[in-house]
Amino acid sequence: MTLEDLQAQCERVPFFRFLDFTILEVEDKSILASLVQSDRHIGNPIIGAFHGGIMASFMEAMASVTVSHNWDVLRPKPINLTIDYMRPALAGTLFTRTKVSRMGRRMASIEAVAWQDNKDKPVAKGLFHFLLV
Amino acid sequence: MVIVTSKSEQAARLDEIAGIWNSRAHGLIREMDLKIEKVAESKVELRMPFNPDFCVDDEGTLLHGGILTALLDSSFGLANFLATENVQSMSTIDLRVEYLRPAQSRADVIVSAECYHISRHVAFNSGRAWFDAPGKPEVARGSAAFSLIRGDGSMLDKMKTGGPGG
Repeated sequence: MTLEDLQAQCERVPFFRFLDFTILEVEDKSILASLVQSDRHIGNPIIGAFHGGIMASFMEAMASVTVSHNWDVLRPKPINLTIDYMRPALAGTLFTRTKVSRMGRRMASIEAVAWQDNKDKPVAKGLFHFLLV
Repeated sequence: MVIVTSKSEQAARLDEIAGIWNSRAHGLIREMDLKIEKVAESKVELRMPFNPDFCVDDEGTLLHGGILTALLDSSFGLANFLATENVQSMSTIDLRVEYLRPAQSRADVIVSAECYHISRHVAFNSGRAWFDAPGKPEVARGSAAFSLIRGDGSMLDKMKTGGPGG
């Protein structure tokens, strides 16, 4: 599946349209994507920071797409997630890079890291488990 | 923890926090259209009306897990405000969410969150989310730790005096 196909598939998902991210790179076991902040993404209005739940949703969305590029063939079922919030994510663009930690027959574990201007200063890291059966 | 002693003063304080929260909703909280159902010292119950924008399918029957995570995170923040005073700002340190079953329903989601321990610098939360439907099927459970920055100008006061929410 090409990057364009994958983006088009994501745009058919109502909640993914709400998040409004752009997939920038697709590899076998990794995805890079960006999300530009809109008002509806804000959690702390005083400093204009992203809502932690939006960051979690964005990373979880990209993790699930990393597990399966074609949801007609396989739609991964989320089991649980853990997220460390390391810095506030302020107005602007949020990037995330996912990586397959383990891909089994029944389960997949995906790591995701999110950052803004400086890749070496992550704003959040997450681990996501999916059931494949 | 809470300095207010009189029962009616305490009730008034909880009402005030709930009022500010309801009227100054901003960003994602406003999109989720959250309604406070119950407040108590360090506990809160919120309702999130069904919204097809939060679904993964075109038919609008299956909620994305991420919105349940956002709902739990939001309710934890509010529970912490109810549990203590003089919080200038707070941020989520970490968050864990378990998705207990597919969130397949068009019913509203109810979330119940508690701040079960709070110290000067850290608050600990747990919560659960279920559909407002027969049998109250539980869809997610979560826990989190928050870092608290204490000071005179509380975050709620800033919101009250016409911050970006006003």
